[in-house]
Amino acid sequence: MADFVQLLVSGVSQGMIYALLAVAYNITFSTSRTINFAIGNLLMMGGVVGFSLYIDMKTGQPLGRSFIIPFMGVLVVGSILGAFINKFAVEPSRRMKSEYGSALATLAVGIVLRNLVERRWSTDDYKFLSPVGDSPIRIFGAGVYPQEVLIIAASIFIVVALETFKSKTVLGRSIQAISEDRVTASLMGINPGFIVGFSFILSAMIAGVAGLLVAPITLVSATMGTVIGIKAYAVSIIGGLESGYGTIVGGIILGLCEVFTARFISSGYKDTTGFVFLILIILLRPNGIFGRKVVRKV
Amino acid sequence: MNNTHSLFRKKFLSAFALLLLAASSMATAEDVKFGIYGALSGGTGPLGQSMKNGVELAVEEINAAGGILGKKIAIVFRDDEAKNEKGAQVVQELLDKEGVVALFGPTNTGVADASTRYTNKRKVPQFISVSAGAKVNELFKDSPENYVFRIVANDDIQSKVIVKEAVVARKFKKPAILCDDTNFGQAGRERLEKELAAKKITPVYVGKFKIKDTDMSAQLLQAKAAGADVILGYGIGPEMAAVSNSMDRIGWKVPLVGAWTLSMPNYINNAGKNGEGTSMPQSFIEAGKHTPREEKFLSAYRAKYNEKPIQSAIAAVQAYDSVYLLKAGIEQAKSFEGAKVRAALENLSKPFQGVTGVYSKPFNGKDHEAMKESHVKVGVVKDGIVVPKAN
Repeated sequence: MADFVQLLVSGVSQGMIYALLAVAYNITFSTSRTINFAIGNLLMMGGVVGFSLYIDMKTGQPLGRSFIIPFMGVLVVGSILGAFINKFAVEPSRRMKSEYGSALATLAVGIVLRNLVERRWSTDDYKFLSPVGDSPIRIFGAGVYPQEVLIIAASIFIVVALETFKSKTVLGRSIQAISEDRVTASLMGINPGFIVGFSFILSAMIAGVAGLLVAPITLVSATMGTVIGIKAYAVSIIGGLESGYGTIVGGIILGLCEVFTARFISSGYKDTTGFVFLILIILLRPNGIFGRKVVRKV
Repeated sequence: MNNTHSLFRKKFLSAFALLLLAASSMATAEDVKFGIYGALSGGTGPLGQSMKNGVELAVEEINAAGGILGKKIAIVFRDDEAKNEKGAQVVQELLDKEGVVALFGPTNTGVADASTRYTNKRKVPQFISVSAGAKVNELFKDSPENYVFRIVANDDIQSKVIVKEAVVARKFKKPAILCDDTNFGQAGRERLEKELAAKKITPVYVGKFKIKDTDMSAQLLQAKAAGADVILGYGIGPEMAAVSNSMDRIGWKVPLVGAWTLSMPNYINNAGKNGEGTSMPQSFIEAGKHTPREEKFLSAYRAKYNEKPIQSAIAAVQAYDSVYLLKAGIEQAKSFEGAKVRAALENLSKPFQGVTGVYSKPFNGKDHEAMKESHVKVGVVKDGIVVPKAN
């Protein structure tokens, strides 16, 4: 029983990490119709910047600052990087009307960020001591890290807040409008360039916060975002690229697939079943579990 | 008197010419070059740095004591960035442009395997002091005159020591194996299974994980369900730390015995209290009591590089020993010529006293591995550092 609960806990919390980042993919997809492949490395930047502001690299001990400081730092760095990616990677490609150009340019920015961190910061892995403690708490005999509870709560909060923002505020509705019909929306007085730029900043900030949140679980390194970045992308496709709640469901599905495969089939196939599931989704429900089918009139 | 004058002038001029000749040949005749290559960045960067330091310290000492065969040693270093193709390139540079008489390095197995054929082609002795997986004795098949030597506890010895420690010394009956899915981890898994089979033991569970995995609960729960009483691990620091941390998470604690990588700071720091008691094979342990030879090395190293603890003491000490081992070979051969040095090394007449131990006849025509099982001790993590296992 305890073992089963442990698998559930491990799977769900791993899945929520993916879900948190998948949200960042979704925001920019719904406005720009392209994928921001720098997301994984934006998460890494969040982890590294947060670590530098909170932990003394030499001793590995906290600097004794309030957690608000790394949090604010990550938001600032995230918004700058988001604006940068939009200005220098996305906008030029949009002018050339090249969606592939945009995707590749973001991928390039991500690689540059990672190499910069490797060169200027470190190539090693560091432990980020959690502000809420590093000893697991016991729930039905299963170990849960307090940080994981924080990640789950934050993911749900961010998704709910975003959905509310999209349906209740003018800016949020503009995002929806651009996502549904760019031409009509711009005829209605919405500036698509501004909305796309805004979405990239918002998405980079969320990715940065995700990095700060997952760092105590994953260790901080220049490569911490690579695998999570790919899996979160898969999660956003499983859940539906435009669905906020879908990312949570998609994340939990992928997380549970991983642990149950590793436990009951073989640890060598850990990642396989999740991706088989992804292929099935692409074949059977190309818009994801929660995706709406959009009819495009040409 | 014109005659004598001119004679004097002739003598003076020829003496001057001789002097010039001697001066011009001084730089080349007095110095021989040793080449080092390895990674200074990336996951193996700390190993490369310590290896380079070890060679440089030994060369400095040798030069201060008058050099080898009366010649001073100069060092040429090239960073291979842990890239196989870069390694092949820098080795050719060192051999052809710099004309080194010996090579030290590299750190990475892949880089070594991509570059050792150049060393063998050019008949220059090479000492590997970090890579435990690189081909050394395997090279005899293609080049019977093998110039590649190693002073590292290779993967064969490591798995022997790991299995011996777990099932013989500590009498565990049901080992589980957990390895990463890289070449390093999977080669380690194969060797561990082979060693266990030789002792007629089948592991109760064999699992793997990927680089960057942080939650090993699923694998550990299966090992637990299979009744494992010890985990034998083959991976690098961060993921092995995740293994120890996940044991804490699922509330299950069995000892972890694994490859020497468990002595690296990125295991010890990231596992914290969950890493206490983990044991691994070590050719040298920085903490604890030391022989005078070890003490001399440690104080010289710390004085020169101001490092305590040393980033990778093992890499440093093995590299340091390899320089003195080469010196013994050159002095016996009375020549820097590769073929003669190789022959001398394969038949060293005097036992070699290194920091890592005593080596009598470390090499022969079929075996270029200096380190044997007897040179390897077992280290245990205690209070955040590796200490010798208490007997």
